[in-house]
Amino acid sequence: MTLHPRESRYGRREFIGRSAAGIVGLSSLSTFLAACGGSDNGGSAAELQIASPGNPVTQPLFDDNPMIASGLEPESGTLRIYNWNGYLDPKIKKGFAKEYGVKVEETFFTTTDEAVQKISSGAVDYDVFFPTQDRVGRLVLGKRLQPLNLEYIPNLKNVWPSLQDPWYDKGSQYTVPYMTWTTGIGYRTDKIEKTPLDYANPYEIYWDEANRGKMFLLDDGRDAPAHMLLKNGITNINTEDPEDIALWEKELKSLYDMNVKVSTDDYTNIPEGKAWVHQMWSGSAIGAQWYLPEGVGTDALGFWFPADGVGTIGSDMMAVPKDAQNPVLAHHFLDYLLDVKNGYSNFANYVGYQPPLTKLDPDTLVADGVVPKNLKTAIVRESDFDKGLPLTELTPDGQVNWQNAWAEFRAGV
Amino acid sequence: MSEPGRRVGADGGRENRFWAGLALPGVVWLCVFFLLPFYVILCVALGSLDPILLTPAPEWNPLQWNTAAFEFVLDNLFTPGAAFETVFVRTFFYVLIATTLSLLIAYPVAYYVARYGGRWKGLLLVGLIAPFFISYLMRMLAWINLLQDDGWVNSVLIWVGILDAPRNWLDGRASSVILGLVYGYVPFMILPLYAFLDRIDRSLLEAARDLGASPFQAFRLVTLPLSTPAILAGVVIIALPMFGDYYTPDLLSGAPQTSLIGNQINLYIRGGQQVPVGAALVVVLMVFLTVLMGYYLFATARAQRRLGG
Repeated sequence: MTLHPRESRYGRREFIGRSAAGIVGLSSLSTFLAACGGSDNGGSAAELQIASPGNPVTQPLFDDNPMIASGLEPESGTLRIYNWNGYLDPKIKKGFAKEYGVKVEETFFTTTDEAVQKISSGAVDYDVFFPTQDRVGRLVLGKRLQPLNLEYIPNLKNVWPSLQDPWYDKGSQYTVPYMTWTTGIGYRTDKIEKTPLDYANPYEIYWDEANRGKMFLLDDGRDAPAHMLLKNGITNINTEDPEDIALWEKELKSLYDMNVKVSTDDYTNIPEGKAWVHQMWSGSAIGAQWYLPEGVGTDALGFWFPADGVGTIGSDMMAVPKDAQNPVLAHHFLDYLLDVKNGYSNFANYVGYQPPLTKLDPDTLVADGVVPKNLKTAIVRESDFDKGLPLTELTPDGQVNWQNAWAEFRAGV
Repeated sequence: MSEPGRRVGADGGRENRFWAGLALPGVVWLCVFFLLPFYVILCVALGSLDPILLTPAPEWNPLQWNTAAFEFVLDNLFTPGAAFETVFVRTFFYVLIATTLSLLIAYPVAYYVARYGGRWKGLLLVGLIAPFFISYLMRMLAWINLLQDDGWVNSVLIWVGILDAPRNWLDGRASSVILGLVYGYVPFMILPLYAFLDRIDRSLLEAARDLGASPFQAFRLVTLPLSTPAILAGVVIIALPMFGDYYTPDLLSGAPQTSLIGNQINLYIRGGQQVPVGAALVVVLMVFLTVLMGYYLFATARAQRRLGG
């Protein structure tokens, strides 16, 4: 592993200093030292740093993983996209295909881990991939993404300034933002008596007896525990303290009495009436209006996110895998999606998740009828990222402890 | 099956090779699509992780195998109250109840079609095979529609007067999951039962009646023992996939208290850095099912012997 000169300021000494400060656990440090130890230049190799808003990371560049040169013509081959299902409007694909005279093919994955596994196996060569912020560091270190040549992506200027230079990838060297979201609580105003706003501690709605059997948490081992921590006033939702993990596990299990259910179909469970209260992603709340049965108006939907902004927040991004066959075309596609008109149409007509584009004014979204007035809380604002709590990567040991506690809850023990 | 070899003399060796050659596609198929993938699962379970990407790194060399994942799984499986033990016991009982119910439903249906189908037999058979044309997932989704608050099940039960108000069948009940399993798998049980019952020589039953057996005695002493292999085959055919089922509880319940061993496997395989644990769980489940399968082979062989087959 050769280090780019720009990255040498993160030497091992500083890395150890940071990890001692509690940013990275010692065990993970040894894992990575072991990982890097095999290479011929040993200790000077790049090491993984766990990025967080308090520890912004400039991702390392590698000599053997260069970015594409400027001024190249886009390839004429088929653009192959690797994405979550339902996360891209087919019309956008058609529009791009027409404009560039190419074919666009989309393949779906169900979890980021599954996608990372496939991409790292080298068996597939997609041109565009949609990673999450907690995966960027490892994908870069494993040389699975190629650095972006931002000259091809002038539309990055349309993005909120803070996300043009985000903490997980300073200077947008490998990724550009795609969508933003928060995790709140969705509910049916026509079915429940007390909304989260009626509680001093809104998270307590999960324990409201009136919603027994109609209450869902997200089937996500990071998001669901985060709400249990927030209920207890713990804002470090990336805590690896065994006591905190035991606390969220206990809180989750106390919901068995409520016949708690888990699902990631929040965008249909609420409108179809399977759920009255559902831990929910903001994009699902906006998308839920398209799944309401006839005769039920959008005012039946509600979405709560902490008014002070101290809640779970995140953003997903777009990247170009290292082995992409059509890297230039891929860059153009990234730029195409950051175009305000395309980004808006993708959001408002299909996805429901919101691109962080400066020109998408929250008030206009409501005025245009894209977002019903009562779901205004589901609109993400740039300022939400000041106080919002992202789910950052855990250390390997921390991840194992989180997953085993989550598995215990999911087992119904 | 050894008939051709027995029939010929000097030519036998060549003919034997010919018949053995016919097995080749099957053998190749098994190796490529069963043994090889199984070895991969084993190597993932006994392997490690890519240090950077934390993706599973299968260990192909048996000398380097790392048993940590198996130790974790077995420890968790034999600790009362631990996650794997709880789900495993739950899965076992769900499958046991669902299989028993399926048998109770499938046997009379198969018996009726085989014995009393008459000229309707063809039509009834089509009716039995029809569910195979609809995917399992679609049938479960239909089941959700039937069971939801304003679904037909509630409407009918209220109309008949059994219920006063709609009941939330989908609020995480074990019964919904078990009935869902029965509903989903019962066609797979009817068919082998029918095929076997249809072949039972009626003269055997007539002989039993001639010798003074009542219809029930004839059934108990002749039909039932004769159909034991079919019952076992039906049980195996539906119990094996039920053990690995995870979408039925996901769709019909979603509650952690009704999750099955398949859900835990799914949880560990789908994400995180404990894919070897998920793979080890798969292997342990397979060993358990192999034991059941072994009993099936043993029992059918014994039944054949007893029938003088």
